[in-house]
Amino acid sequence: MTAFIPDAPILIDQQPLLRVTAARRLYGSFVAVDDVSLEVWPGEVIGIVGESGSGKSTLLRMLNLEEPSNGGDYRLTLPGRAEQNLFDLDRFEKRALRARHIGIVYQNPHLGLMMHNSSSGNVAERLVVAGERRFAVMRRRATGALAASDFPLDRKDAPPIELSGGMQQRVQLAKAIALEPELLLLDEPTTGLDVSVQALVIDTLKRLQAERAITMIVVSHDLGVIRTLADRVLVMKQGRVVEQGLTDQVLHDPQHPYAQELVHARL
Amino acid sequence: MTRLSTLAGTWEPMSYAFLDASAKREVRRRMLKALAIPGHQVPYASREVPIARGWGTGGLQVTLSLLRPGLRVKVIDQGADDSVNAVNLRRFMMRTAAVEQTTDALEADIIQSRHRIPEETLAEGQILVLQVPDPEPLRPIEPDMSTARQMHGDADYGRMWLMLYEQIVRSGRVTQGAAYPAMVNGRHVMTPSPIPRWDLPKLHMARHITFLSAGREKRLHAVPPFTDVRPLVFDDVPFAVEDHATLTCAKSGLRGTFMNEIPLDDGGTLYETSDTGLAIKVLSTQGGTPQPIGTTWYPVTETQP
Amino acid sequence: MTYVASRGGEAAIEQAERLFRAELGPITPRQVDTIRQTLPWLIDRVMGEASLHDRDLAALALAQTGGELYEAVLLLRAWRTTQPRLAVAEVVHLDQTFAHRRISAAFKDLPGGQILGPTLDYSHRLLATDVLDGQTVTPPAVESADMPGAALLPALTDWQKAQGLIDDPTPASVAPDDIPDLTREPLLFPAARAHRLQSLARGDTGGMLALGYSAQRGYAAAHPTVNELRLAEAEVRVRHPDGTPFSVGRVRLSSCEMVSKTTNPDTKAEYLKLGFTATLGWNEVKVIAGSTLDLNMQTGGARPATNEEFVLSHVEPVEASGFCIHLKLPHYVTFQSALDALRGIRRDGGQVRSADEVMEEAEARTAAARNTMEPAQ
Repeated sequence: MTAFIPDAPILIDQQPLLRVTAARRLYGSFVAVDDVSLEVWPGEVIGIVGESGSGKSTLLRMLNLEEPSNGGDYRLTLPGRAEQNLFDLDRFEKRALRARHIGIVYQNPHLGLMMHNSSSGNVAERLVVAGERRFAVMRRRATGALAASDFPLDRKDAPPIELSGGMQQRVQLAKAIALEPELLLLDEPTTGLDVSVQALVIDTLKRLQAERAITMIVVSHDLGVIRTLADRVLVMKQGRVVEQGLTDQVLHDPQHPYAQELVHARL
Repeated sequence: MTRLSTLAGTWEPMSYAFLDASAKREVRRRMLKALAIPGHQVPYASREVPIARGWGTGGLQVTLSLLRPGLRVKVIDQGADDSVNAVNLRRFMMRTAAVEQTTDALEADIIQSRHRIPEETLAEGQILVLQVPDPEPLRPIEPDMSTARQMHGDADYGRMWLMLYEQIVRSGRVTQGAAYPAMVNGRHVMTPSPIPRWDLPKLHMARHITFLSAGREKRLHAVPPFTDVRPLVFDDVPFAVEDHATLTCAKSGLRGTFMNEIPLDDGGTLYETSDTGLAIKVLSTQGGTPQPIGTTWYPVTETQP
Repeated sequence: MTYVASRGGEAAIEQAERLFRAELGPITPRQVDTIRQTLPWLIDRVMGEASLHDRDLAALALAQTGGELYEAVLLLRAWRTTQPRLAVAEVVHLDQTFAHRRISAAFKDLPGGQILGPTLDYSHRLLATDVLDGQTVTPPAVESADMPGAALLPALTDWQKAQGLIDDPTPASVAPDDIPDLTREPLLFPAARAHRLQSLARGDTGGMLALGYSAQRGYAAAHPTVNELRLAEAEVRVRHPDGTPFSVGRVRLSSCEMVSKTTNPDTKAEYLKLGFTATLGWNEVKVIAGSTLDLNMQTGGARPATNEEFVLSHVEPVEASGFCIHLKLPHYVTFQSALDALRGIRRDGGQVRSADEVMEEAEARTAAARNTMEPAQ
């Protein structure tokens, strides 16, 4: 499968921000991610859909450099990093790169947050990891990131454990964008939330995308989320990408039988 | 025919300074490694010694490995030479190694201490051995020592600053009391053992060697002379030591030392200098027998008791 | 008022120890003999935790401490650590031990048979109060079996390995002097297999029982069966410099294998997994608990009994008991430091400052520092 998509809305003088070639992940003999290739351009929002077990969340964790790979090549166009296969970095370098350039929001806030620390502290940790040592700067920027995530600031020192699911996702989002990362990864960011709360979180994500032109990859089994956010969409099944294209195209006129089944089942 | 007894040394029930030569060699090698990587915790075998674990066995092993006849040793606990556990450790050193004892920080070659650093500035050639109950500064945020070792390896200390951030959010101030974590040589975060914050600045660019040894946890770390030791603080929120600078010792009239607070029957409070070695010298001088008082880390003044 | 120089403390601790020893009275060779002869199971327990097989020294330690077990173990450990290592003994295989007792719960009968041996398992736990009324209770004589039992019994695992029921890993080839030795090296995690087994062999019986029991009650992954439990004697064989092995004496030892069914995640094949603990002296409850822990630590996980670092760090009798009693030591410097932090809030007028106020002060401080620097530029 070629990674180049002729329909993608790109400026020809730009480099893709992200280029993954033939990524693979095995659990014993089980192939979780199989030969996935992907290019993402700056400012683009990519949606990844598929049933649970299709490998989409595993792929996202690989892009966050927290899940090891069993082959493949992963590049981000970052100063001094463009020539490096990020899958090959050691633990220390992966952590540094992840902290500085990639933000992630997990479906399960327990994975992304220290539930008993203050919400502002959770966001501030990102700044500490990047080397910030001034309390006032940490707190101002954490407050700013929480505000940008539409988090109610009178609750900014409440621990996530005391917050609703929607508020927890906003804390995760604030933490993810605090350092203005090049790449924002969202793993089922609204799954499990009330429908009305889902809509509000999606509004925040849309506004952030419009204001900051953050490059995003959204994994969701909810086609509504994908339709609202994504420019392009990949359909995954059994670890492989079976179809990809512009969101409207894929959702209105799916070609692959599995994509058809998925779209019709959800509409 | 050569008799075995002429080839072997005479049997003695106990080695000089208790530990056998191989145990001492192992401890000394770890100490050298600790000096080479300031603030890094070096695992060591930590033999059982005839003192209960948690009662200074780590400091004791370091001291025993350094003892030789003629050295002068000072042992303190909570700043006091006559504290029961200090007395007991000193008795053990005298019993097994016949060294000289002193209460004067200026003339001691080795000072083994629990929870305090003397007020008088230690000099080149002196060795301070601090007893450490828990060598791992990351313990409050990471109980697994295997994970904590990895965090030290990565200099992954973000959550330590976060701990301070959380204290300010909760209490409006950094509330860490004793055992305030410190960054050593810009690389390793260490615990200075449960000394008060008052004592921590004394380790920065100090002329003496400091060994910190935890017998039960089998780790030792060191601060070599002239090493950068800084409390872990935000750049814009200053580090504060205990508010003892203005208190006056009821016995010696000293001001500018760390104090013990003694509650009184009438509900009041009395303070006395925690460093008994210094207080005794001052009292002796006041009593007409002058004793040399060294320079002190903090400005110390004498008032009328 | 003047300071009393450092004598008060010394006199106090001296007299406190005398008081303790006065209540015990003199220690005589006869008393040590009596302890050794009448309390063999206690001697064995102490020898195991001390990792020192010497009944006389163990009895002496008990006499010297009045039966304060942790103190007795510390005495023996501190004596042991000063002793030179003269030789490394040959490996003892289970089928070379002289089993006084050998039980398997996994099979009704097994090669070599079930040997009950000496045990209170099926006794009625009734106090023999007649003794207090002045009578001597003499146990009925043991009636010998018609046929003497075999001196050596085959190991059950040999049969199981032949049946393909358990893994038969090739033992690592290690020179005797290179076998990891917990008494000469720190315990790091993940622990060397030798260090783990040594930790369990030296472990606190009570501590291992508590953690092993937690696993048996379900706070762990594996549901174990006793594969083979032995109370035995073994020859300690060392090599003469000319290469000839010879026995330097016999030790009593206990060993237990615990077995549990498990599934290979890759092949889905089911097989039996073994946990093992052996210790010096006869101490059944310790090796049963220990082998349960060994089995569960292989599984890993967040439960106490499945976490190797948790188990091995907390079953160490000398460390655990020492640290627990150290809390009696004066801590008034650290307490003073904590009090100061507490009173800081009172100094601020009883008001806890908000983090935002601290932030604004910090910003003002940074601005002021910048202003003082500007003229210099």
